Amino acid sequence: MIRFVLRRLAQSVPLLLVISLLIFALIHAAPGGPLSTYLENPNVRPEDIERLRRAMGLDRPLGMQYLSWLWAFVRGDWGFSYADGRPVLDRLLERVPATLELIGVACVMALIAAVPVGIMAAVNRRFDRVSSLFAVAGISLPVFWFGLLLQLVFAGALGWLPSSGRASFDGGDFADRVAHLLLPATVLAAALSAAWSRYLRRAMRDTVARPFIRAARSRGLSERTLLLHHALPNALPTFVTVVLLDVSMMASGAVVTESIFAWPGIGSLFTEALGKRDYAVLMAFLMCGSVAVMVLNLVADLAVHALDPRTRDAA
Amino acid sequence: MSATERNSATSNRAPRVAASLLGVLLLGAVLAPALAPFAVDALDLANRRAAPSSLHWFGTDELGRDVMTRVLFGARVSLAIGLVSALVSAAIGAAVGATAGYAGRVADDILMRITDAMLAIPRLPLLMITAAVLQPSVPVLVVLVGLAGWMETARVVRAEVLSLAARDFVSAARAIGASPLRVVMRHVLPGVIPAAAVATTLAVGRGILLESALSFFGVGVQPPTASWGNMLYQAQTTMTSEPWLAIFPGAMIFLTVLACNAVGDAIGAAKG
Amino acid sequence: MTYSWLGALPLALTFAACGGGEKPRAAASGGDLLTIGYDREPDTMNRYATHILEDIESCVVEGLVVNDEKMNIIPVLALEVPSTGNGSVILRPDGGMDVTWKLRAGVKWHDGVPHTSADVKFTVDAINKGDWKPESVDGFDRIESVDTPDSLTAVVHYREVYAPYRLQFVRGTLPKHLLDGKNIDAATDYNRKPLGTGPYRVIEWKTGEYILLEGVPNYWRGAEFPKIKRLLFKFLPNTTTRINQLKSGEVQLVALVPWDKVRELRGLPNVRLNQVVGNGYEHVTLNQKRFTPFADIAVRRAMAHAVDRDLIVNTLLDSLVTVVNGPIQPLSSAYEKNVTTYPYDPSRARALLDSAGWVTGADGIRAKAGKRLAFTLITQSGFAIRENVSQALQKQFRDVGIDASVRLIDGTSISSVWFKGDFDAMLHWWQQGADPEMTLFFASDRMPPAGRNINYFKDDSLTAMLYASDRTADEAQRITLLKAAQQRLAVLIPELPLYNTAKIDAVPARLQGFTGNPTNAGPFWNVYQWQLTAR
Repeated sequence: MIRFVLRRLAQSVPLLLVISLLIFALIHAAPGGPLSTYLENPNVRPEDIERLRRAMGLDRPLGMQYLSWLWAFVRGDWGFSYADGRPVLDRLLERVPATLELIGVACVMALIAAVPVGIMAAVNRRFDRVSSLFAVAGISLPVFWFGLLLQLVFAGALGWLPSSGRASFDGGDFADRVAHLLLPATVLAAALSAAWSRYLRRAMRDTVARPFIRAARSRGLSERTLLLHHALPNALPTFVTVVLLDVSMMASGAVVTESIFAWPGIGSLFTEALGKRDYAVLMAFLMCGSVAVMVLNLVADLAVHALDPRTRDAA
Repeated sequence: MSATERNSATSNRAPRVAASLLGVLLLGAVLAPALAPFAVDALDLANRRAAPSSLHWFGTDELGRDVMTRVLFGARVSLAIGLVSALVSAAIGAAVGATAGYAGRVADDILMRITDAMLAIPRLPLLMITAAVLQPSVPVLVVLVGLAGWMETARVVRAEVLSLAARDFVSAARAIGASPLRVVMRHVLPGVIPAAAVATTLAVGRGILLESALSFFGVGVQPPTASWGNMLYQAQTTMTSEPWLAIFPGAMIFLTVLACNAVGDAIGAAKG
Repeated sequence: MTYSWLGALPLALTFAACGGGEKPRAAASGGDLLTIGYDREPDTMNRYATHILEDIESCVVEGLVVNDEKMNIIPVLALEVPSTGNGSVILRPDGGMDVTWKLRAGVKWHDGVPHTSADVKFTVDAINKGDWKPESVDGFDRIESVDTPDSLTAVVHYREVYAPYRLQFVRGTLPKHLLDGKNIDAATDYNRKPLGTGPYRVIEWKTGEYILLEGVPNYWRGAEFPKIKRLLFKFLPNTTTRINQLKSGEVQLVALVPWDKVRELRGLPNVRLNQVVGNGYEHVTLNQKRFTPFADIAVRRAMAHAVDRDLIVNTLLDSLVTVVNGPIQPLSSAYEKNVTTYPYDPSRARALLDSAGWVTGADGIRAKAGKRLAFTLITQSGFAIRENVSQALQKQFRDVGIDASVRLIDGTSISSVWFKGDFDAMLHWWQQGADPEMTLFFASDRMPPAGRNINYFKDDSLTAMLYASDRTADEAQRITLLKAAQQRLAVLIPELPLYNTAKIDAVPARLQGFTGNPTNAGPFWNVYQWQLTAR
């Protein structure tokens, strides 16, 4: 098992190198650059642009810029933001807690909804029909639209909840934080729980249909025992894979949700950095996102391994 | 197939209704130029934001364009992005996942690490950057959304193949000397289809929604070309004053996703 | 469909949302807190390094002068605005110029240190030293030296005549006692919480969320100022979110409301819409270098006649703006009213094109010598009004046999596109300062990268007039030259002027003293006298 983990980690090094080259090329291929916003101001003259380009090191050949970025990056020097001149690491770290808070709560909410619904749907056909409609509603509403709708209803018309932000500037007690968290977390959780409950239902249905369950049923075991003790454990590996994959997709922040709700996480940092073509922040963001996904992937594989009675026996 | 499954698949009319609905939507998209009551680029600045009426069934938008016409033409774009990209994703994902799961450790390692790499780069951010580089057009978005979505299918299919391959009937097939290709085609892939079908049906909706998210950041389908996603995006601030601008494209997305899911479930149930 | 009730869920939510706006949330603040929904977070609070609007900065760091709501330049930290008339601007025989700034006595930095002419000198020296990244060194690079005969007098020696000298220190001064000898780019303390002389100072900057400003106790205008104790700038980049917060009362002020959102805000009980005419104009740039038919004056005039600007303004823009005929706007002292105009007249447009040899082809598009009148019109994506106006223009051009295809480009990419001249035509405006200089936009030798002449338009007599105006320190003479230049521009019509900009700010109904501002000085220029009255 340890050897497996080590091997995977070793394999990830060349992968990350390739990823870094790919994203470096991509973000530099996008039109514009860190100085684009300066061009809008007519008082900024060409001399100014040239001076700033040199000062920011943007006049060097791209290959050079990549190598110097890479060399600094592997030594732990992530450079400075092109936009505000502060260390990139500071800019990322100050945003991480907000994102973890949002995603963590959303995932818990989604699991609380998805697991019982998925199991119920696998067993009860009528419940399945109703829940599948809700699930479709959950995944067919564009996130930005659902978010704005919730704002209009719960912050606007009803006035129950704050429409955006992470906390009141002078409040920030627990109740205030929860109130701010509720809408964005709901938006995220809606889509997740919809997808997850469908996956769990499907995975359980498949297991129920398998010979060993049918055999168990013919032995006279109760449906309840069948489901909870035989079908569920067998359905879990697929389900856990899906959940971890979805969670890892959000390791880079929930870009749309954070933008709608002015949530100060790394997703909104990305949107801002992309608009300003803040190459240093974009590189660090994408690399961190990639590493986070790789780690969660590894965890998913280990989890499948640990949970699946068949592969476990085989190993 | 268990008794309950068979019973539900035949007695439930939902899949047939859903399939017909999808057919109608596709037909509407294909025949949009013939069906649309107005020319797709006809402006009527004197008749902006008109509520639904006998002349404009779905009302008119900010430029006085007929919303029904735009919904019909938007169907072409949204369905292309949703369906084509989902099929692209499913094909790549199933091939990669099945190969990785069955062809042995070296192939598995290589394919899965490529999958990991593709999966590792944050998707929406990557799409936003790529769309900014390539300048979004409908074909570009179809390919991008398709290329962005095959990895989950690959992982799910692989996990499924691995657990199937360890099962008795597959071992038995191998033991009696069936060729690996035959084992995969006859015994493993059919078992994988339910999972792949669910992933694919979900991908249709996700593709349509991904396009709308890209529209939200200004890198989706570009006006004046209509997609349901960008119509919804443009309607975001008029949800209260001109709800018809949001309701019709929103309802179309909902119906499409609903229909795809029902069809996918039916396929899954029938083959499972 | 047995479950169609569920399809009604978004519908029901929508109608529930329709009730919105009637019931304002109990705003937490009385008269001592004003919450502002702001569209972007500044990169830095250093006014010389920022490259976006300076609204928040200007509450803390004051300029020697400021543009008021009528675009007059009025003194703030200076006692008076230097001019040739009051003897504080002297043209030297060697072609240079000396400007004497008299500073207001008794002004202190927030740490109690007096604000003096040494700070003015330090500012010039620091910017010219070039070891950090100020946004623009325009004007500063023409300054030879600064003399400080006494602590309240700074004499600025220019190498050459620099007409916009009055706005040289509109961004204020840098505190010498704090920054002398420091790397200003790395002076994070200053850049995040700048030391100023203004009515407010920064209490807290929570990245990604807000900046909180608090009134200083001993503001130099008097202890009664500022009247509002605290200003909270919340960063809300998404426009719809910002508008939703205004409706719910979570923010009370939104500066520069997008025009297409104004309709929704009318009739909100606690919101007043303050409108001033902006000092900018929306126009269609015609790139003659990339699309050569634009070099034909008949084509340009025909296009001008083809556009029904009144219809566009009265429908798509809800009459919030007015049609304009040139780059300098009526509120500028250099504005010239009597210029050639091009009223909407499609038959005249067709006649002009016919007589210039542009013949309509089988596809309805005109062509001459194999070159079709078909081009791409670019504009910024995500800018609803522009998306709509560009499509209306497309239709109106089509009516006279000109084919414009619209392409939307995101805000970051578009500036590099025009800077490279990589477009045919573009719908946009310039963010103009209060000074009426046009050289940068129209002189023959100011095509990128040397300037912003992205019509790639050449006219020698116009160029001569523009440069002459730049080298004239006398205000009246300069205006005469600029007026002649406007007339010449209208005759040659290198670009199509459409309408002016409207600066519409949504403010609390009970806010007193708010005037707005037509320039990019922003509406916070007189924030010290704002007051929230009792309901």
